[in-house]
Amino acid sequence: MSFLERQLEDPVRFKRVKLWFHVGLVVVIAAEIVLPRVFHGGDHHFSFESWPAWGSLYGLLSCVAIIVLSKLIGKASLMRPEDYYDD
Amino acid sequence: MIEWIHPGLTLILGAWVLPLLRGRIQRVAMIALPAAAVVACFLMTPGTYGVVSFLGQELVFGRVDSLSLIFSYVFSIMALLGMIYALHVKEDSQHVASLVYAGGALGVTFAGDFLTLYIFWELLAISSALLILLRRERSAVQAGFRYLLFHVFGGLLLLAGIVLHWEQTGSIAFGDMGAFSGSLSWGLILAAFLLNAAVPPLGAWLPDAYPEATVTGAIFMTAFTTKSAVYVLIRGFAGTELLVWLGAAMAIYGVVYAVLENDARRLLAYHIISQVGYMVCGVGIGTALAINGATAHAFAHILYKALLFMGAGAVLQMTGVRKLSDMGGLYKTMPVTLGLYMIGGFAISAVPLFSGFVSKSMVISAAGEEHLPVIFLMLTLASAGTFLHTGLKLPYYMFFGKDSGLRAKEPPLNMLVAMGLAASACILIGLLPGLLYQHLPNAVDYIPYTLAHVTSTLGMLAFTALGFFLLLKRLDPERTVSLDTDWFYRRGLTRLLNLILKPLACLEYGYIGEIYELVIRRPVLGAASLFQRFDSRVVDSVLVGVGHSTRSLSQHLKIVESGHTQHYGLIMAAGILALLAFLMLAL
Repeated sequence: MSFLERQLEDPVRFKRVKLWFHVGLVVVIAAEIVLPRVFHGGDHHFSFESWPAWGSLYGLLSCVAIIVLSKLIGKASLMRPEDYYDD
Repeated sequence: MIEWIHPGLTLILGAWVLPLLRGRIQRVAMIALPAAAVVACFLMTPGTYGVVSFLGQELVFGRVDSLSLIFSYVFSIMALLGMIYALHVKEDSQHVASLVYAGGALGVTFAGDFLTLYIFWELLAISSALLILLRRERSAVQAGFRYLLFHVFGGLLLLAGIVLHWEQTGSIAFGDMGAFSGSLSWGLILAAFLLNAAVPPLGAWLPDAYPEATVTGAIFMTAFTTKSAVYVLIRGFAGTELLVWLGAAMAIYGVVYAVLENDARRLLAYHIISQVGYMVCGVGIGTALAINGATAHAFAHILYKALLFMGAGAVLQMTGVRKLSDMGGLYKTMPVTLGLYMIGGFAISAVPLFSGFVSKSMVISAAGEEHLPVIFLMLTLASAGTFLHTGLKLPYYMFFGKDSGLRAKEPPLNMLVAMGLAASACILIGLLPGLLYQHLPNAVDYIPYTLAHVTSTLGMLAFTALGFFLLLKRLDPERTVSLDTDWFYRRGLTRLLNLILKPLACLEYGYIGEIYELVIRRPVLGAASLFQRFDSRVVDSVLVGVGHSTRSLSQHLKIVESGHTQHYGLIMAAGILALLAFLMLAL
């Protein structure tokens, strides 16, 4: 059994992977809020870019918006059965 | 000494040697040809080469400057990687088509005039169509013909534009078209370029055709057609405002369709459209930074997109499965493919230290510098969508997810080597962006690795991942196809015909028939009966009369023909006497 398989298939280990993912999220969002303010790093083009955790929030918002809106558009008009174009 | 060797022509002509070779020698030639093209491109110095006089015009086969050079580098490198990936394929025609295709892209890159451009442009269409047709399945052949017809249409737009432009300006030199903005020739040429760049609504040919191509042919297709179109757009249409909005819209359009898509390679094809959107947008913004961004992104994109298609192609080849809903659990038996694919996934998602991060951000920053907040937000949103699909959804359902029971082995070594080389390039450009920046057409004053940029990108990616796992159930691939603008020529035309059939029939029987009766049938019939009467009365009685008189004349003459010799002698003697009497009277 490979390393990856052990991490994913053992429920105890998988729980640990999930935990580390959430820890990672906290670290990333904290870094985004704190670091550019402590060390001056990079200029902004728009005021909204300097809002705290702008990147993280916009990323989450984009992801949810893309999934929900695309599925809505798809269900409402674009999606057809797999054999739609078959003769 | 030969002044200049055209690397494109080298590939186009050299390709025809391959079918004459066998075994190891053929494989060496398959690598040597594109390798020679790479060397030729990297040794080239700026200048104008290969000028030929034709119809009083100058055909320029070799316009070499910083812009054509960087595109030639990546096109030739891509030809080499593609040939390594295809090394195990035992079908000569595929290799010939691939090399001619790559040569066509190099020909477009170095073309300095419209006629040369047009020749190589058509060569691109024909050779790439072969890469679809050669998969030989029914769906592939149908898609191949649709692809060819659509590109022939594009070629005709281009030709019409070129002829008008030639007539108006008296020149076929290909340069910035800004001065002719708004003219018909400008519009036709722009439309032809946008068609090849797969800009909606002219772009549905791409997701229709690419997933139908052969496993190895698709790798070539991801690189050349759309990116040579980006090159000619930069050359001719930099700063055209329309392109800013088209580009940003197409970046999102590709992402929306990718949510709905179930076919692995078609999902990646929609992401080509999305990524080319960034380049088209950069061309439209047109500043030095934006043009650098479009160029750098084309360079990086060709390498990571090829890598992604190689990964999906490897899975297709080893499992025979193309739908995400039928895959899953492959990480257990294809870990190397997974690892290499993920490098491509990180590169396209613009993860720091990978190539997309240093190229895509140039375009987004250019939108920021020009104070285009809506464009900036659209491109950033599409960026999250890219990671969502190519970095998360596709690998999740292909390699992890519900175990499909498929236990495919790793692909052949040559495929892994090609993927490894492409992956190394993605990481190298990400680690050392200066390697790429020094070849860009404009001087670069841009630093991708600032603290704010890195932390906000990481935040965006991490929380996109969170959104993905939260909404995972909603993303499960569904067994559907999505309607795109190709519907109009695949189904719409048939529908249109069915729709107009009934009114057409009514019109035919109700009006056209009546009018025909009145205008044509009746006069013709009337005239005919008139002629008939003339015929029966005049012509017939004349003939009958002639017959009658002939008969009565013969009745009278019959008396003379008695059959007795003494009658004839008597008549002769009477004749002679009459003659003598006549002579005597006359004298």
